[in-house]
Amino acid sequence: MTEVYSMDPLIIKTPYEMSYKHSYGKTSKFFTSLSAGKLMATRCDHCKFTFLPPRADCPYCLAETKWVEISGKGIVHTFSTLYFSGEKFLKDLPFQLVYVELEGVDTLFLTRLKIKDKNSTKIGMKIKMKISREPEWRSSDVWAEPED
Amino acid sequence: MARKVAAVAGGLTYFSKARRDKTQEELAAEAARMALFDNDIDLGKDEIDGTIVSYFSDHFENQLLFGSIIQDYLGFNPKPSVRIEGGGATGGLAVRDAYAHVASGLLDVAMVIGFEKMSEVNTAKGNEFIALASDTDWDFPIGGFYSGYYALMARRHMEEFGTTEEQMAMVAVKNRNNAQHNKFAQTNPKMNPFGMKDGGKITVDDVLKSPYVAFPLKRLDICLMSDGAAVLILASEEKAKKITDTPIWITGTGAGTDAMRAGDRPRTLAGVPILPHENKQWYKKLEYPGVHSFRAGRESARQAYKMAGITNPLKQLDAIELHDAYTSSEIQTYEDLGLAKYGEGGKLVEDGVTAINGDLPVNPSGGLIGTMHAVGATGVMQAVEMFWQLQGVAGKFHGSDKTQVKNAERGLIHSHAGTGTYVTASIMER
Ligand SMILES: [Zn+2]
Repeated sequence: MTEVYSMDPLIIKTPYEMSYKHSYGKTSKFFTSLSAGKLMATRCDHCKFTFLPPRADCPYCLAETKWVEISGKGIVHTFSTLYFSGEKFLKDLPFQLVYVELEGVDTLFLTRLKIKDKNSTKIGMKIKMKISREPEWRSSDVWAEPED
Repeated sequence: MARKVAAVAGGLTYFSKARRDKTQEELAAEAARMALFDNDIDLGKDEIDGTIVSYFSDHFENQLLFGSIIQDYLGFNPKPSVRIEGGGATGGLAVRDAYAHVASGLLDVAMVIGFEKMSEVNTAKGNEFIALASDTDWDFPIGGFYSGYYALMARRHMEEFGTTEEQMAMVAVKNRNNAQHNKFAQTNPKMNPFGMKDGGKITVDDVLKSPYVAFPLKRLDICLMSDGAAVLILASEEKAKKITDTPIWITGTGAGTDAMRAGDRPRTLAGVPILPHENKQWYKKLEYPGVHSFRAGRESARQAYKMAGITNPLKQLDAIELHDAYTSSEIQTYEDLGLAKYGEGGKLVEDGVTAINGDLPVNPSGGLIGTMHAVGATGVMQAVEMFWQLQGVAGKFHGSDKTQVKNAERGLIHSHAGTGTYVTASIMER
């Protein structure tokens, strides 16, 4: 039965749900490698550029890239603590987002920073990427932690 | 050779958190009626040759092909129409597309119809829809949220250049307080019957004490979410001169792009595209654009300045309406537009240069922070505002003379999407 929110003006509630069969295509390997404890990026040998998030095709020369394993060590390039978010992540608040500079990677990688004292986060701080043991097959299966 | 193109009329609705009194198409009609009947023009509705329809999201209303509903509702069938979408830059890109339609001769008189109704879902869901305009494989799943993305960029700008939260707060105060003299503004409860009850003037202290949404951005650093519409009419030179005694010419336009994932953008040493008044030596140690600056904004300005013959924007422009989605992005945009050196944008607002009575007023309307961000309407609103400024009638439309920039002859409008993925800038002149 239609739920009525107001009569003047007439406002009704219309729920809407859907589910997509979403393919990660050629970047699937990033996610499937995580279960072996490997963090993979892609590299264009022609442009000498390594991408994470991975790209199957180099945007600079349109050659196909190859997979390379990376160490997952790096530093914080910039950070923010979130106290509000989209509906889906309200339950996680507050949390920290960081762009990290990773060893052997030429792009910055956006991820969460899991840290005990959020006030201690600093630009330039050393981090190490961690991999979830319970994969959700999403980019949130990896995150950064301080390297001690 | 492209034909000369002028703006000849504009119209806006009152902007509000929720305009539940009207549907989207009824809001568009409200703005179209103002454009056709409240401007000093000799133009019948039937003389409009086609429309450019500007709206961002199909999700907010769960209705696809809304452009067709608008075209029908406003009575323009069977004339040509096209829908333009480019995230936050939707409105500016629609104005630019209408310019191209008229300049090319495809249309003699074009109406740009911008609108968005964001209130039919709750704010957190609305933010989630907006976040779907970020990379949904990589950036959204970790807790992606646009204020978070801009906060990361703002924090890096602070690191690179020493920009402060106080300087950001000054942008919020300027724009919010300008809006208190604009009757269309959502934060203006005195003049706007649909205005927010807790609107009104603010101080730097108010901004600094408002709660963090995403450090370093606080609630009052962040733009509004709005319902509303904006309509602009453009015409060819021949038509424009018949329609009005005071056409406002579009003399330059540019557009730029950058990677959806800001982390994928280059960090090239000395990579700044140099504007005519700049010296390459200034930036020889700067990695660019990184996540501190908007390369697409720089690129759009570079093209627009070249086309309009602008070699020193701070001196040659009299007013700017720019996309202040965040106070930090207004400061970043000052630099992209070449109003200040990279790194000195914060000082520009601190020195009062961009205040309503400063050398180059920025967002005299109140901008996205003070007046509205009904996404598809936003860039069109900026063009309407600049059109009224350059005609010298801003006070008449706003209901207060305090927003009119004295003797404004040339202005810039700037429309920006998702952390600088799409940006467009255009020059308008008397
Ligand atoms: Zn390549």
